[in-house]
Amino acid sequence: MSDESANPADRTETATTVDTADAADTTETEADGGETLGGASSASTVASLQARWESARDRELTVIGLTIVGVSLFPYLFARAPVVSDLLQGYQELASLMLVWGIFAIGFDILLGRTGLLSFGHAALWGTGAYAAGWASANITTFPLLLVAIGVVTAVFLSVVLGWLSLRRGGIYFAILTLAFAQMIYYMASAPLAFITGGDNGLTGVEIGSLLGVFDLGTELPSVAGTLLGTWRYAFIGAFLVLSVTAIYRILNSPYGIVFQAIRENEQRAEFVGFNVWRYKLAAFVLSGTFAGLAGALFTIHGQYVPLSSLYWQTSGEVVIMTVLGGVGSLLGPLFGAGIYLWVEYIVSGGYPFDWIAPYWLLVLGLVFVTVVVLFPEGIWGLVGDLRDRVATRLEER
Amino acid sequence: MALLETQGLTKRFGGLTATDDVDLAIEEGERVSVIGPNGAGKTTLINQITRLLDPSEGDIVFKNESILQTEPHEVVQRGISKSFQTASIFPELTVEENAEIAALGAEHGSFRLNFFRHRNRYGGVSEATRRTLEAVSLWEQRDMEASALPYGDKRRLEIGIALASEPDLLLMDEPTAGMSPEETNATVSLIDEVQEDLGLTLVLIEHDMEIVFDFSDRIVVLNRGRVIAEGTPGEIQDDPDVQEAYLGGVEL
Amino acid sequence: MSLLTETARVLLNGLQTGAIYVLLAMGLSIILGTLKFVNFAHGALYLLGLYAGILISQQTDFSQGQLAEYGLSTLGLDWGFLAALLLVPLIVFVLGIAMERFVARPFYDRPDTDQILFTFGLAIVVQQVVRILFGGNSQNFAQPGWAAGPVALPLVGGFPQWRLWVIGITAVLVMIVYGLIEFTDFGLVVRAGTQDAEMVQLLGIRITRPYIAVFGIGAALAGVAGVVGGPLSVVNPTVGTDILVPAFITVVIGGLGSVRGAVVGGLLLGITESFLIQWSLVIPSLGIDYGFAPWSQVGIYAIAAIILLVRPQGLFGSEVDVS
Repeated sequence: MSDESANPADRTETATTVDTADAADTTETEADGGETLGGASSASTVASLQARWESARDRELTVIGLTIVGVSLFPYLFARAPVVSDLLQGYQELASLMLVWGIFAIGFDILLGRTGLLSFGHAALWGTGAYAAGWASANITTFPLLLVAIGVVTAVFLSVVLGWLSLRRGGIYFAILTLAFAQMIYYMASAPLAFITGGDNGLTGVEIGSLLGVFDLGTELPSVAGTLLGTWRYAFIGAFLVLSVTAIYRILNSPYGIVFQAIRENEQRAEFVGFNVWRYKLAAFVLSGTFAGLAGALFTIHGQYVPLSSLYWQTSGEVVIMTVLGGVGSLLGPLFGAGIYLWVEYIVSGGYPFDWIAPYWLLVLGLVFVTVVVLFPEGIWGLVGDLRDRVATRLEER
Repeated sequence: MALLETQGLTKRFGGLTATDDVDLAIEEGERVSVIGPNGAGKTTLINQITRLLDPSEGDIVFKNESILQTEPHEVVQRGISKSFQTASIFPELTVEENAEIAALGAEHGSFRLNFFRHRNRYGGVSEATRRTLEAVSLWEQRDMEASALPYGDKRRLEIGIALASEPDLLLMDEPTAGMSPEETNATVSLIDEVQEDLGLTLVLIEHDMEIVFDFSDRIVVLNRGRVIAEGTPGEIQDDPDVQEAYLGGVEL
Repeated sequence: MSLLTETARVLLNGLQTGAIYVLLAMGLSIILGTLKFVNFAHGALYLLGLYAGILISQQTDFSQGQLAEYGLSTLGLDWGFLAALLLVPLIVFVLGIAMERFVARPFYDRPDTDQILFTFGLAIVVQQVVRILFGGNSQNFAQPGWAAGPVALPLVGGFPQWRLWVIGITAVLVMIVYGLIEFTDFGLVVRAGTQDAEMVQLLGIRITRPYIAVFGIGAALAGVAGVVGGPLSVVNPTVGTDILVPAFITVVIGGLGSVRGAVVGGLLLGITESFLIQWSLVIPSLGIDYGFAPWSQVGIYAIAAIILLVRPQGLFGSEVDVS
């Protein structure tokens, strides 16, 4: 029964067979629990190569490295590279905005994709982070790093309160309650607290100081960095994205990661193996709220403006769509979801060369979203993964 | 002093009294079966012990301490574990992860701020995971997704999850429900083995009388929420009250 | 204005605001309670009812059309609106049945999250389709001629007649729904489903006729809400999603699956809202004169929060959690 030293090659073999047999489902589990694969074998089959590649991919440094490379190349490809940028019609500021929303979405996925909790109230956390940063710049400091810190702390504080209230009842109530309390905050900002928030006009003309008192965020980076990344602002936001990906990767591989999954899979069982499920749910909510607040503060720094609509529930809906579109339960999927959503919202809706579809951009997004929910629950990221597995299977068969 | 005691445990749902003044004492290392017709209050009794339900009256004492004020997950920490009637597993995780979660829960379930610490650093957990899976003969299948297991294996995994927390007292709610005769036999011998190896105290809810009479040191008979008889299998078999109330007068 | 007049006004306005919440919440609540289906597209049904109402009341101008040939036009009635009031519930009832079949049913066995995501997506699609068909700008849904203008009431004075109609129509519908729930098979299913969801699920009777009726009737109520609520304010494609949130709040306050809860909850919210709009704190000696109108929307959520803290299952909800 306990064939003690099952050799690693065998193990890898088993894992891969399962993987290809039931590709869609296992890919994710492996991405998270990749360490169980242990050392790669010396067998030189394609299967083991793939396994080795997968286990390598899962190593923290690889993830961070790839994220840095991706973040560095993206604005160049999107806004400046020949052909590609013409096709995509991208521009620098949109690239920055995509990262901001990307942080929001990958943080949101801690809650939705990992813990299985659907919040319709994250606009409150994002918006509060944004307002806190905006208000602080007028009243306390204009240093970007401090603004980010203030936004994050405020959002964390609020997410403890919101989460505590919304998690009082389980199941279907959660979505409704998060939605309700977020709307309450929206209405508070819209009228009674207008003297702080600027009411319907939002906070305009937010002043952002220079980074560490030296680098103006609006100016271009020197030499190659300038070509690749563009502005200091992008570099600033990009650094936070890398930081966020790293932090979330850590969280997912900590005990929290597997407890969150356990709660998603079978909440009652998780309680009955000894987990304080309620606390862990609150933790998931607060952790995702932290990233929402971070993204919100960066949104203010990016746009120097906080619209009232950043608190409205449509914003919550947007991050839901981005996350689902990109792929729930995958580390980077929601980032892509955010990119696609914003690309459609800003580029496709803008007309040429998309005139024929421009007025219907939200309808199209809605239809794609519905299709993804019904047919591809793993989102675009999952589809890409499937494709990769299929190619791998082909190679193997040869 | 007994490992687990219930004292005058009463639970009312509206006008219905599901358990009525139940006094139980389970000694360490004992195997006790709770039987009774449908609606006798067996599951309600278990649910109160695991703290899923609040009793209307009475007390539950485990290891000389009342557990009335504890949450279900705390009860697990203290050493009471429960296996479910259905295969209550984590379907999309691997078999190994299933056991890993359970082991983690027992050791670290009571919430800590360790979200930046890598799971691989918890050596004790992987030890316990392995022990558990070997105990229920699922170590070989550890990389399979739990939902892909055959039904009997899922039930064994379920028992494994309950065991992974290394409980002192294991409550089993119809562990053989819905199993084929072969699977039933395998499960019974599994429970048998595990009980002896780990020195577990076992409380079993079961409908299969054959298992109950073979397996138990002692049997408690519930009817309409009350304990109507208690004793060794032999005593219960001969008890006229039991035959009347529970078995409808039919000879066993 | 005397205190009495003011109170009467607050109450009437509150009843009218609450009536719309009641109509939406009743449907949401019975669907949630019996089918355990979270319908984020319930607001879309309201929206569809509203625009269907505009279409019918404008284009089916009975008083100048065929009825005129029979001399009925001389009655001077806006038959178009009446036609809308009768036809829209039927149309939306059918839409509701279709929704049960093609939207809800495939999702009964999938996680709650998927249901919510799907219906949320559907709500966006419906909203966009309406925007494309009818334009995104605000328009007016004319009140029927026979109910336009104010009417003189004792105590209150002049009060918009249509608002009284809204209250009256809602009251009649509440009574009908209550009767259905108390005395029919449909009601039996609703009550059983709400009280013992597990048993109902075990029996697997979610797809039988009374269940489908639950969806249809819930939808029809949303449709009526669209027709009677439409003329109260400007109309645009976002009203469906806007009204969904207070409707959900009503359900939470009243308790899942409880019609009584939906009625009490809706009225409570309506009256809270109208009270806050009217109320100002005036303490001349301290120079305080603060109107609470800006807090009117915040108030309904605050009430929800308080009720949730004190009585998590809602005013008329059963203790059993449905997680």
